[in-house]
Amino acid sequence: MTDPQIALFMLGAFIFIIMLGFPIAFTLMAMGVAFGYYAYFDADRMWRTYHRAVENGADTWTLVETWVGGFFNNRIFDLFINQTFSVMANDVLTAIPLFLFMGYIVERANIVSRLFATLSIAARHVPGSMGVAALITCTLFATSTGIVGAVVTLMGLLAFPAMLKARYNIGFASGIICAGGTLGILIPPSIMLIVYAATSGVSIVQLYAGAMFPGFLLSGLYLVYIVVRSLLQPSVAPKPPKEEADIPVGRLLFLLLTSFFPLAILILAVLGAIFFGWATPSEAAAVGAVGGLVLAAAYRALTWQRLRESVYLTVRTTAMVCWLFVGSSTFASVFAYLGGEQVITEFVTGLDISPLEFLLLSQLIIFLLGWPLEWTEIIIIFVPIFLPLLPHFGIDPLFFGILVALNLQTAFLSPPMAMSAYYLKGIAPPFVQLVEIFRGSIPFLLLVLVAMVLVYVFPPIVYYLPNLLYAR
Amino acid sequence: MFGGGVAADMNRYIEFADRLSAWFGKAFAWAIMVMTIGVGYEVIVRRLLGAPTSWAFDVSYIMYGTLFMMGGAYTLSRNGHVRGDFIYRLWKPRTQAMVEFVLYFIFFFPGVIALMVIGWRYAARSWGYGEVSVNSPAGIPIYQLKSVIAAAGILLFIQGIAQVMRCIKCMREGYWTFAPDDIEETEVKLMRGETAEVLQEAAAEGIDVTAPDRDGETRR
Repeated sequence: MTDPQIALFMLGAFIFIIMLGFPIAFTLMAMGVAFGYYAYFDADRMWRTYHRAVENGADTWTLVETWVGGFFNNRIFDLFINQTFSVMANDVLTAIPLFLFMGYIVERANIVSRLFATLSIAARHVPGSMGVAALITCTLFATSTGIVGAVVTLMGLLAFPAMLKARYNIGFASGIICAGGTLGILIPPSIMLIVYAATSGVSIVQLYAGAMFPGFLLSGLYLVYIVVRSLLQPSVAPKPPKEEADIPVGRLLFLLLTSFFPLAILILAVLGAIFFGWATPSEAAAVGAVGGLVLAAAYRALTWQRLRESVYLTVRTTAMVCWLFVGSSTFASVFAYLGGEQVITEFVTGLDISPLEFLLLSQLIIFLLGWPLEWTEIIIIFVPIFLPLLPHFGIDPLFFGILVALNLQTAFLSPPMAMSAYYLKGIAPPFVQLVEIFRGSIPFLLLVLVAMVLVYVFPPIVYYLPNLLYAR
Repeated sequence: MFGGGVAADMNRYIEFADRLSAWFGKAFAWAIMVMTIGVGYEVIVRRLLGAPTSWAFDVSYIMYGTLFMMGGAYTLSRNGHVRGDFIYRLWKPRTQAMVEFVLYFIFFFPGVIALMVIGWRYAARSWGYGEVSVNSPAGIPIYQLKSVIAAAGILLFIQGIAQVMRCIKCMREGYWTFAPDDIEETEVKLMRGETAEVLQEAAAEGIDVTAPDRDGETRR
């Protein structure tokens, strides 16, 4: 076998192994080292000391020692440790634990119920008011925590029963919670975009700026859908009875001031600091975490137990993401060294497809990968396979990243591995069927598709903000 | 297959490894507070006082690197590393354990041993000349960060043996034993049927929230 063939075999074997369910980070590490050992195998170099010892007529012990030592002289080991260290000293990835910490703190700040209650009152005259309130709560809460599971389950216990009690259609209500909760991985400051920035080399600041309007576009499309559907088909979202809906404006303003605005201001401060260049994303994340602590303290939610939980969950999630990077950095360099990247590039460029066809094909593959896999693996392991092809088709990696981020929304919503739906099913009353949740998510899946088409047809949706801020 | 003594020894070792990994993972988890405060301080003194520190940048990545590397074994012991488990989850625990048992020897130990052995060599070289960061004239030492690679490797190796023992236990008993932990993600807690304090406290604040409608009879 030639080296490139070995590289393709390596990729194929890897895909087979991850299907067996072994932790992916370690599989990548071991395969990178093993195939790298082959790739960098150089008998002359590895046993140079041994041969010198033989020439010098050294004693038997020295001969054995240098011969055995020769096996460890492979350059893959230096590559492996250097790659590992470069992940540890990566100044983009430092933002990950900080944003996670901020998210865990905000998640525990007693804010979500207050937010939903206030927004339900504020939106009471809008058709489908509770759905609208649920979606806005999801969007804001998901944006600030970025943890899909937590948003879906908390909102599933808070807004979902309220909607069911108001006789909302089960599918409609579940679609709102699932789709809204998933927005957290798209709208900045999202962890997913940091991970994409680290794999693609695109500036995280520009990615955040580029994702702002597409994120709000998607959220807006969801909102329009909820209102329009409630207008056209009032049975899916009946109006709540009149008597509980009256409240003085001053009281409402006070409620908004103590629930909606503090969180919105925290997010805007973090994003503003990043966009206007006052702080790097990591610095803004640290300030955001401090802000989250202050917010939690203000809501009298900052207990020692919750702080401990946030700290320990941060280390677990950070380790989960960053060990994937440790594995994939070695794996990817060995794959490229063996010529795997080039084979794929030559194959795809040889297909003679147009940039649009390539874009459709790549997004379709990512969509399909989203069925069995989670976004972390897809972005860290599979997206890098497409990245070297982008220049050939004249596609901007920033633009591609935004499309991927939109696309991966579907990974949480579409069966068979729809995490958001499973989270909701896990906490919903037993009469809520998984099929109903899936059915309710379909309109939202279609809206993701609409958003992707809109972004493709009107690229300024992505580029307006980065161009304005950084004169790209 | 085994005498009671071996099984008891295995249980003791698994417990020891879980506690060791958790201790290191949780101890170094507090690096996030150092990071938050250090970087937050830098932003304040730079933006407000115009006097940037010479150490905050180095501190941030040293803390981050230490945090996630030392947390690797803790995450492993709590089964927190991502798996592509769409087929795996359909198998019986015994089958899962058999496959995993084999895969640990092929796909876990080689990489981890390389981390340990070569990481050690790499760190020793760095300690040898007292390597400092090139990012600032403050001369922040970074040899301790390089030692983290070997340390993380050792912790993973110890935890890896415990995971292999878990596989053996599961193959014999037919079910997995997981490490007990008081720290869980909110969704895990909620899906297990625990209540959310975060939701309860809203009522105490005098805000009228429709309480989560959870029938006592349908849920444990």
